[in-house]
Amino acid sequence: MAKQRRVVVTGMGAVTSVGANIAEFWTNLLSGVCGIRPVTLFDASAYRTQTAGEVTEIPDSFLTSAEKRRMSRADRMGLAAATEAVEQSGLDLEAEDPTRVGVILGGGTSGLLDSEAFFERTLAGRPARPSRVLNHLPDAITDRVAQRFGLEGIKSTITTACSSSANAMGYAYDVIAAGLADVVLTGGSDVLARLTYGGFNSLRSVDPGPCRPFDRERRGLSIGEAAGILVFEEEGRARKRGAPILAEFLGYGVTSDAYHMTAPDPSGAAGARTIRAALAFAEVNAEDVDYVNAHGTATAQNDSAETAAIKVGLGERAREIPVSSIKSMIGHCLCASGAIEAVATVLTIQRGQVPPTIHYENPDPACDLDYVPNEAREHRVDVALSNSFAFGGNSSVVVFRRANGRSIP
Amino acid sequence: MARRGVITGAGAVSPLGRTSHEFYRRLLAGETAIRPMTAEERGDLQATEIARYDGFTPQPEIPAMKARRFDRGSQFAILACSQAVAEAKYDIAADPEAIGIALGTGSAGAGALTEFLRVLLRESPEAAPPFHFPNTVANAPASQVSIELKLFGPNVTITQKDPSALNALLFSALALSSGRARAMLAGGVDEWNAVYAMGFDRVGALRGEKRRSGIVQGEGAFAVLLETEEGAHTRGATPLAHLTGTAMAGVPSEPYRFAPDRTAIERTVRGALRDAGVEPAEIHLWFPSRNGVLEMDEAEAEVMGAVFGSGSPRAISVKDAVGEMAASGAGQIVAACRALADQDGPFPAGAATRRALVNSFGAGGNFLAAVFESA
Repeated sequence: MAKQRRVVVTGMGAVTSVGANIAEFWTNLLSGVCGIRPVTLFDASAYRTQTAGEVTEIPDSFLTSAEKRRMSRADRMGLAAATEAVEQSGLDLEAEDPTRVGVILGGGTSGLLDSEAFFERTLAGRPARPSRVLNHLPDAITDRVAQRFGLEGIKSTITTACSSSANAMGYAYDVIAAGLADVVLTGGSDVLARLTYGGFNSLRSVDPGPCRPFDRERRGLSIGEAAGILVFEEEGRARKRGAPILAEFLGYGVTSDAYHMTAPDPSGAAGARTIRAALAFAEVNAEDVDYVNAHGTATAQNDSAETAAIKVGLGERAREIPVSSIKSMIGHCLCASGAIEAVATVLTIQRGQVPPTIHYENPDPACDLDYVPNEAREHRVDVALSNSFAFGGNSSVVVFRRANGRSIP
Repeated sequence: MARRGVITGAGAVSPLGRTSHEFYRRLLAGETAIRPMTAEERGDLQATEIARYDGFTPQPEIPAMKARRFDRGSQFAILACSQAVAEAKYDIAADPEAIGIALGTGSAGAGALTEFLRVLLRESPEAAPPFHFPNTVANAPASQVSIELKLFGPNVTITQKDPSALNALLFSALALSSGRARAMLAGGVDEWNAVYAMGFDRVGALRGEKRRSGIVQGEGAFAVLLETEEGAHTRGATPLAHLTGTAMAGVPSEPYRFAPDRTAIERTVRGALRDAGVEPAEIHLWFPSRNGVLEMDEAEAEVMGAVFGSGSPRAISVKDAVGEMAASGAGQIVAACRALADQDGPFPAGAATRRALVNSFGAGGNFLAAVFESA
């Protein structure tokens, strides 16, 4: 179809276990810094594993202490990333028509960590302070971001588990392309919670040490937390106002595996459908793809199924290009993973450097692509994919392309 | 007339009926599923009423052995979506990549989440039941539908307060217009949960003994099959109604505070009419957002009065009948489609073209509306 309105990224913000802003995040990704460390947010001693990609610093000094008390950890991380993204975009949101600026984020457990105390007391039949219980409802952060910046456009929260924020970016694209908004703040913020920590532990899918994506000895994922926010903007107006054009969002593929609630299709056929849907929508050929930012959770099933999907989806091209998983450094940030990995993908295009897959030692015959082991690599990337797969078989692949535009410092 | 898609099938699994026909018939008859809470449901809540689907069973459609794999919300959703596909006579297997699903929900996963946390927090992490964990995600119902019906197309779940289902309808319409899908199951699903009810009660969202203003919680699933006009025409489907307009507005607000902003409501209502290319006088039927939150209900009534003057369309209140939840917006959509399609509707005899407006407003400053037109 003819794309009348194109969508570009004009700002980004990040809060992660390896950096509380874009610059620090990127430097540490390229250096192969691992943010997966012992958990401090709750007592993890009774769990099978004790490590996670926990954020140690949230740059939220712009909030008053009263505001911080009202907000969940996920709110504060999300607002910090949104603030950085808006600053970088150079948007003066007070001067914009607020009805044309929306917020579409991915959400899931969100602020559940704060709500667990309510659940704990309530389930024990004891009185509990209710002010925290609604923190974990995933749409709270979306309302908070709109509230913070005085926005009156569409608000939406996609809740498709680990592909939530990838699909949120896709919906943000749809809304701008259809003319329903000119600017959308998109991405996601998701924090550690005992529910998800205990959940993946109960499924025996967590590595006791830092996760090892695509390694033969991989033993599961590491849970992480992050906020990643991107400013999506209609290209014409972004160029007119001289905005930094970090990359173009060419489109996305969103599909159902219709296979199993938790297991990926080992043949890769389901994941390949998503990749092909993304390429078809973005009108790019497999040969044009220069890099894949992998879902790469380091579970036995995901990494081999994803490898198969990339090979089926991209054909010969799969063997010619780098494929890496930043989850090896920040863990699986669940509902924020699609967003924070999209941030890394845009930076890869911008800087011509591919972040590595660290902790990679032992090649696996079932995972036989170039995973950029342990060392970042110089590599020009014009078109990049970022994969997100989720419980329920909710798969999403987003496509970014280099856009001629002012670079960021 | 703008055409955003055509509805060719509808499904309902609700305390007011287990098919869209039964739900609509009982709704028109003025029945309500809202009843006093039992002592067990109520506990120490100040809320007094509820609209649960008492006596629900997924049989005969889902055999008992199989039904155990699905939580309550997934059972609701599988049945409602299957009904919509059946009424539309849509052949999914002919091209599974062409059809997807988008559901709105406020509570899906709540049952599994509380069960998992009950063991995790009160006993030990080692005892936490892995069986429940995958169903704690809000997308479990939509995804179980995709697995059961073998849909390979787009699959999302949206949570954005009360208008979540209209948000899912908007996503679906965009999936059609962008060529991402040729058909979408669009709707909503919710299951009642005691712990969530306690939270909502404590923050003042539920009406009851101490509060005159607030919602009554419901549960159930509603869905429609939305297709491209071309697709429906090519396969010779019988349309129930056309989706002709949508609009949305946001108000900066605390996430769980009500923002009865008349400007935003008017922008939403007028926006939906404009998108549909119709004047207020051309709307015959209105499915209000009204849910018992008095300040919001008053604002809606005031704006409707200002927009429609003395020619206010006839109102049918879905939430007076099945309570409020994210799925209620989908209930309004299903009711609107039935009203436009069925002969025994509330219209004056001889009305050639019939249109319905669906309003869906929620806490946190979230407003959506949609316009439907008879086929």
